[in-house]
Amino acid sequence: MVVGEVAVETDVVVIGGGPGGYAAAIRLGQLGKSVVLIEKEVLGGVCLNRGCIPSKALIHTAGEYHKLSSLNKLGIQLPTEKATFHMPSWQTWKSSVVAQLNKGVDYLCQANGVTVVKGTATFLSSDRIGVETGGDFETYKFKQAIIATGSRPFIPSFLKTDGEYILDSTDMLALDEVPETLAIIGGGYIGMELGMAFAKLGSQVTVIEAAERILPQTAAHLSQEVLKQAKQLGMTIKIATKVEKTEVANGRVTLICTSEKNGSQSITAHKTLVTIGRVPNTGELGLAQAGVEMDERGNIPVTATGCTNKSHIYAIGDVTPGPALAHRATKQGIVAAEVIAGLPSSVDSPYVPYVIFTEPQIAGVGMTREEAELQGYKVKTATFPYRANGRALAMDEGEGFAEVIVDQESHLLLGMHVVGADASNLIGEGVLALELAARVEDVALTIHPHPTLSEVWLEAAEAVLGHAIHIVNKSKVAVSK
Amino acid sequence: MVEFKLPDVGEGMHEGEIVKVLVRRGESVQQDQPLLEVQTDKVNAELSAPVTGIIREILIAEGETVEVGTTLLVIDAGTDAKKEETKLPEKVVNPDKTVNFAPARADHRRSLATPYIRQLAREMKLDIELITGTGAAGRVTEEDLRQFSNRLQKSAPAKFPTTAPGNERLLEASTVGVETEPVVQPKTGSATRVATSSLGDIERLPLKGIRKKIAEHMVKSVTIIPHVTSVDELEMDQLRALREKLKPHADKRNIKLTFLPFFIKALVIALKEFPTLNASIDDRTNEILLKRFYHIGIATDTPEGLIVPVIKDADHKSIFQLAEEIDQLARLAREAKLTMEHITGGTFTISNVGPIGGLQATPIINHPEVAIISLHKMEKRWVVCEDEGVIRWMMNLSLSFDHRLIDGVTAVRFTNRIKELLEDPNLLFAEMV
Repeated sequence: MVVGEVAVETDVVVIGGGPGGYAAAIRLGQLGKSVVLIEKEVLGGVCLNRGCIPSKALIHTAGEYHKLSSLNKLGIQLPTEKATFHMPSWQTWKSSVVAQLNKGVDYLCQANGVTVVKGTATFLSSDRIGVETGGDFETYKFKQAIIATGSRPFIPSFLKTDGEYILDSTDMLALDEVPETLAIIGGGYIGMELGMAFAKLGSQVTVIEAAERILPQTAAHLSQEVLKQAKQLGMTIKIATKVEKTEVANGRVTLICTSEKNGSQSITAHKTLVTIGRVPNTGELGLAQAGVEMDERGNIPVTATGCTNKSHIYAIGDVTPGPALAHRATKQGIVAAEVIAGLPSSVDSPYVPYVIFTEPQIAGVGMTREEAELQGYKVKTATFPYRANGRALAMDEGEGFAEVIVDQESHLLLGMHVVGADASNLIGEGVLALELAARVEDVALTIHPHPTLSEVWLEAAEAVLGHAIHIVNKSKVAVSK
Repeated sequence: MVEFKLPDVGEGMHEGEIVKVLVRRGESVQQDQPLLEVQTDKVNAELSAPVTGIIREILIAEGETVEVGTTLLVIDAGTDAKKEETKLPEKVVNPDKTVNFAPARADHRRSLATPYIRQLAREMKLDIELITGTGAAGRVTEEDLRQFSNRLQKSAPAKFPTTAPGNERLLEASTVGVETEPVVQPKTGSATRVATSSLGDIERLPLKGIRKKIAEHMVKSVTIIPHVTSVDELEMDQLRALREKLKPHADKRNIKLTFLPFFIKALVIALKEFPTLNASIDDRTNEILLKRFYHIGIATDTPEGLIVPVIKDADHKSIFQLAEEIDQLARLAREAKLTMEHITGGTFTISNVGPIGGLQATPIINHPEVAIISLHKMEKRWVVCEDEGVIRWMMNLSLSFDHRLIDGVTAVRFTNRIKELLEDPNLLFAEMV
């Protein structure tokens, strides 16, 4: 600490300007608190700059590009010359999208009286924080603090990324050309999303997953649909396979892998993407000086209001135990802000939806059938296939299905999952239904607009009740033993 | 499960104090078995079980004041302790039979409620997981929150925490008050607090029970009714002589003959002649309700406070019958055994403070009645009779009347008539039906 240092006093400091941090800061501003938001890079965090938005921009582009090859059957005659993809142009477009959003967040912070400070923050004590801003060091004295520093890709030491051959997801989204061959270590949602996008753009993609199947976080029958598509895209999927070693030589990366079934094998690609998890950014924060405790994984345990072991210091988003999802961080940020302002807010919902932008998309909320049975429920489930939905066929999107999981006795909805076109938007209905404690009849009796994909929920709900119109109902209702 | 709610045991009643809980959790009860004693608008009532079953929950504590419609007990209908004992092993052997939403919900760690209701529960500092939902499929509704909050605040105010921001552990602590068997909780409001101010010690006592009722009723009455009081004095010698004559006859029939039955008789005769004094005003419709029945309330002093039992159809009863009934009602009042039936429906009230003393008063009208008469101390006074000073037994009476309906002239004519009837009791008999 500098002798004679003058600390700027503020009600709250928010460390990290990602979707959790900036939402918290804006809400605090709305509630009349003085707020300093400290961000070491650009507002918007991983989500806006290196995660959700850039990756969805790429996935959207890849999807559009890939569709060109199937337009012929819809009667669209393209010029005989083959379409090409120019990645530098995509980068320019992506940057404009990100910049527009950055500007929006910046404007909203200003409009709500949030002071944005660019720099790296370190706790000096339980009520002071220092910020390195280029050549300067500023100190802030706070009444409350919100830690929202997020997470970064986990890269094991033997897979050291070099930004050129061995890449993390951030590097991958910054590429200026589509790699001819691409090896992806990790068949989780980031690996499969980016892998499928690059496959659509022309890469020869090999996914190496240590678990028994890709997308191990989702139910097997949902990930199965993605596996089918991956194969159609010409991707090579190696499950139950571990990467032991990497070697870079002659402009290629060679991965030495082992599996019980196939023994040792090597895979060579122009680029390798490592997506095997994320770790919280808590190591450099000086949490010990603030007295904030972490668990053995570096996560900060919090209560439902985001409170850490220090009652005036909150933590939200990826630094807290739980799935690293932007919408979870945003909710936690708003709740922490409201609690600081004295409002009775709480993150008390188990219904955190997930969305995977693979081909087809997967989205869900609540329990899977297996989870519900594990919890002791006797469940009924039913699925409704996209191929029986008029709109899906008219969109040439007949792959996938919607599934509802229902408590057999009360008919309360326990989970809703969908794999298929636009699943990411369709799950909104599921989240609302579960939050409103809907029974399956509530969905079945609701008029859904026709012709839309949303009818898959209507029909799946009716199928649970044994009277779906557009599929044969007998034996479609699965009842747990 | 049958939720036993506080019924409206009397006209216009909206809350009652639970005086005694006569059963315990887990106890087997028969239909019509007394469960609780409740003190409502000036009466004690015994509430009995609507069904045979087992007391599953007792949601109120002795001393608690609850609103009509509040769930007091939960009774598992159709079972009793014996039957349940034989049922229990079956439940263990065949777990499928017992599967219902409750255990499953516990696993899921969530009660059924919409996000808005959850937010509201937090605002009200309630743990929603403890609330039984009455909405569709057991969803917790806004009304459930209110009911629960009312019960909680009344049953365990000391345990109701102030939730500091960010400390939901305290919220959990609020559940203690519900889980604890309320029967053993200290009687709400029985505690007194002595605080020292610059003026001296002040003892704070809760305004509750009958006193609270009286307070509310009085405030209502003086707020609505413009009171005017007229005072007059009566010569009582002839009435005293008559009473002395009749007393041996009354004694033979074991009847305690006071002056009150004579007053009631005189009053009824006057009321028939001045019907606006036996009326009420419907404040909602601005109508005058002239009542062709004469139910006379007698304000009675009891250890619990002033209670007004009502003599129904006083115009159809003899002096002796009235005397008998007055005696009987006074006894019931002192023993706190009056029912709602005894204290409702009055059309006019007599307040007899004579035995205690006092020259005059401004009695407050028993709303929705429009007049009240107060009888004061009977004493020998010097009076002028035919230009001569004589000693007579005299008594004052104060009549308060509702000036919206009754003019001063009418009121004085009314007391003049009573005076006339009582000063010459022969007239009283002449007018009697």
